[in-house]
Amino acid sequence: MKKLLTGRMMVLFVMMLMVAFAAACSSNDDQDDTNEEPEEQTDSESPSGDNADGGISGDLEIQYFVGGYGDAWWKEVIADFKETYPDVNIIEHAGPNINEEMRSRWVSNDPPDVVYIDGAGSSETQMVEDGQLMNLTEWVEGIELEGGDKLMDSFIVEPGTFDGDIYSLPLVFDTWGTWYDRALFEEKGYEVPTDFESLMRSMTEIKEAEGIDPYVTSGQHPYYFLRGALYPAFGAAGGEELLADLITGAEGAWTSDPVLEIMKRVERMQQEGMFDSGLGALNHTQSQMNFLLHENAFIPVGFWLPNEMANDIPEGFDFGFIPSPMQAEDESYAIVPDLRPLAIAEEAENPEAAKAFVEFAFTREYAMSFSEHTGAMMNITEVDLTQNENVPAYLTEANAMINDPDQVTIYNKPHPMSADLEVPVGNALMSLMLGNMTAEEFVQEAEKAAAEYRGSN
Amino acid sequence: MVQSKKQKYLFLAFCLIPTFILFAVFTLYPLFSGLYYSFFDWSGSSQNKEFIGFANYIKLVKDAIIPNTIMHDYFLVVTKVIGIMILALFFAVALTQLKIKEAPFYRIVFFFPNIMSVVVIGILWTFIYNPSLGLVNSGLEFLGLESLAKPWLGDETWALPSLVLPSIWAGIGLFMLMLIGGISNISKSYYEAAEIDGANEWQQFWKVTLPLIWPQIKISILYIVITTLNGSFIIVQVMTGGGPNNATHVMGSYLYQQAFVQYNFGYGATIGVMILILSLLTVLVLQFFMRRDKIEY
Repeated sequence: MKKLLTGRMMVLFVMMLMVAFAAACSSNDDQDDTNEEPEEQTDSESPSGDNADGGISGDLEIQYFVGGYGDAWWKEVIADFKETYPDVNIIEHAGPNINEEMRSRWVSNDPPDVVYIDGAGSSETQMVEDGQLMNLTEWVEGIELEGGDKLMDSFIVEPGTFDGDIYSLPLVFDTWGTWYDRALFEEKGYEVPTDFESLMRSMTEIKEAEGIDPYVTSGQHPYYFLRGALYPAFGAAGGEELLADLITGAEGAWTSDPVLEIMKRVERMQQEGMFDSGLGALNHTQSQMNFLLHENAFIPVGFWLPNEMANDIPEGFDFGFIPSPMQAEDESYAIVPDLRPLAIAEEAENPEAAKAFVEFAFTREYAMSFSEHTGAMMNITEVDLTQNENVPAYLTEANAMINDPDQVTIYNKPHPMSADLEVPVGNALMSLMLGNMTAEEFVQEAEKAAAEYRGSN
Repeated sequence: MVQSKKQKYLFLAFCLIPTFILFAVFTLYPLFSGLYYSFFDWSGSSQNKEFIGFANYIKLVKDAIIPNTIMHDYFLVVTKVIGIMILALFFAVALTQLKIKEAPFYRIVFFFPNIMSVVVIGILWTFIYNPSLGLVNSGLEFLGLESLAKPWLGDETWALPSLVLPSIWAGIGLFMLMLIGGISNISKSYYEAAEIDGANEWQQFWKVTLPLIWPQIKISILYIVITTLNGSFIIVQVMTGGGPNNATHVMGSYLYQQAFVQYNFGYGATIGVMILILSLLTVLVLQFFMRRDKIEY
C-alpha cells in the first residue's frame, strides 16, 4: 500500500514537472511571437506610411536619456516635429534610467525607432557589435541642413565608423575639461593653469591659502579622471595614435614612456596632497557639490555641470572652463571630444518616420536652441553663439577657445573605451590616486588589463 | 463519509499544482535559465548569443577579483553573525529579564531600522561617513581623536569594515524580536528553580536561557548568513559601488557590474551560479555544525 502511494505520488510529481515545463516552454513561445511581430509590422506599416501622399505617419517611438542636459530641448523638437508631421504619433521613452528600463525591449528585438545614446547603461559600441543599429552610411549622404549645406560636411566631429560604416550620428558635442570658480580666482588672484606645472603651482597656492585639498573627482567613477584629465594629456603627448592605442588596448601602449610620465604627474599630485582625501567615496553628485561648496577648487567633468547643478549654485559662483591642464609645458591645451549620438534601430517598426525625425533634429536652428537650453553644444559647425544672450558666457568662451587652433588642439578618439578595459584601468587608477599604488605599478596593471581585453575579443 | 482515493488525490493536486506552477515559473525557470545563460557569451542587451561551453567557468576560476569578492562576502557574514547575534541577544535578554519599564519603547526603537529600505539605510550611512560633514569624523574631532578620522568609505582598507556597522544596525531589530519571543516562552519556574539551586544570573543565562532558545538562535544565524550572501550587494552598491579599487565588491555587486556595466551577462550568470553553490554549501555546513538535540527541561 505504501509503495503504491509513493508510486502515485511519483506520478503526481512527474505530472507537475510536465506542467511546469509546459509553462516554461509556452513562455518561450511567447518570446518567439514577439520576435516575429516587428518584422510583420514593418512590412505592413512602411508601405502604408509611404502611401499617405509620400508623407510620414504611424507611431514613432523615441528613447532618450535625460541627464545633466535636461529634456527641454527634446520637448521643443518633438513638439515642432508633431506640428510638421501631424499624422505621426510620437511615443517618448525618457528619463535618467531609461537605458535600464528599455533594455528588455532591445533584448526582445522590439526596440524603439530612434535612440539617443547617452548616460549610464548605454553603449554605442555594444549596440553596434550586437547589430542593433541601422546602417546609415548611404542615407546620411543625402541629408542637408536648412541652408543647403550637406550634413556630412557640417559636423564638428564626423561620425565614428565601424569597419567603414556609419551607424549613428553624433548629436551632442561634449568635452571634458577642468572647471574652476572664476569669481574666486579673480578675487584671490589665483593662477588659472595652462599646463601641468602651472596647475601644480596654482594648487599649491590654493592649498595653502584656502586650507583645502584643491582637486576633486568622483572616486566611485574613476573613469571621470581618466576621460576628463588623462585622455587630453595622452593626446597632447602622443597624438591621436597614442590615444587610439590606449583605448583599443594595443600591446605596450600603457607601459609606453609618455604614459608613464603622465601617470608620474598623477602620482605627484597624490603625494603632494592635491586630491581630496575623501574622493574615494564620492559619487557623481557629491563630487560636484563639493566643488560648488568650495571644498575643492578644480573638478574635471563635462559641459553638463552648470545645467545639472543649477539649483545648488552658490551666489556669486562663476563657472570657468579650461581644457584639462595635465599636459607638459611645451604642449598646448588639448581636448578630446565626447560625442553623444542619435541612431535608428535596425529593427525600427517605423523607419521612415525615424529617418524623418533624425533629419528634422539636425539643423543649425536646433543647434542654437540646444546651447540655450543645455549650456552645451550640438555637433554642428558654424553656429554663432556669440550673438545669443541666452547662451552662458563660459560656453561662448569655451567655444571660441576650442575653435582656436593656436590655443587648443582637438584629438579625436576612435570610439569610446570598452567597459571591459575601462573598469579595471579605472580601479587601478583609483588605487594610484589614493596612494596605494605607484605610477609604475599602475601602468603594469593597466597593461595587464589591456592584455586581458585583447584576449577576450 | 469516507473519501475515495481519487478524491484524495484530486484534493492533493488541487492544493499542490497551482503552488508548484508558480514556484516553477518564478523560481525554477529563472534558476535554470541562469544556469543556461552561464554557458553563453551574451551581452544581455540583444539577442545575439554564442554558446561557449565552459569558457565562462574557466574565466571565473582565473579571475583575480573573484577570490576577493568571496572573502569580502564571508567577512561580512562572520562579522554580521557575531555582531547581530551578540547585540540582539543582549538587548533581548535586557528587555525581558531586567524588568525595564520602558521596554516597549526600546523594542520599537531597535526594530525601527527594519522597516526602512536598505537603500535608505545605505544613503543615510553614506552621510554619516562623509569625510567632511559626516557624524563619525565630526564626533572623532569633537573627542579630540582627529588622528583617527579618515575618509571611511574612500579608504581601501577601511571601506569594507565600514559597511559592517550599518548592516548590523539594520539587522538587530528583527532578530531581537525573534529571541524575545523565544525567551518569553521559557517558563518562569525554571529560573525560580535555578535560583533556589544557587545559580547567579550569568549561570541562569548560560544554563537555562541559551539552551532553550537555541532553535531561535539557529534560525537567526542561518537567516543572517543567507540574506548576507544574497543581499549584501544592495548596501555595497548604494554605499561604495564596489570601490575603491574593488575593495568592497561582494559576489553580488561584482555580478551586477559584470552583467549590467561591462555587458558580460553570460559571465554574470556564471557568478550567479557560483553564489548559489556557495550559499547551498554554507547552509549545509552550518546545519551540520549547529545540529544539537532539542533540549527540554
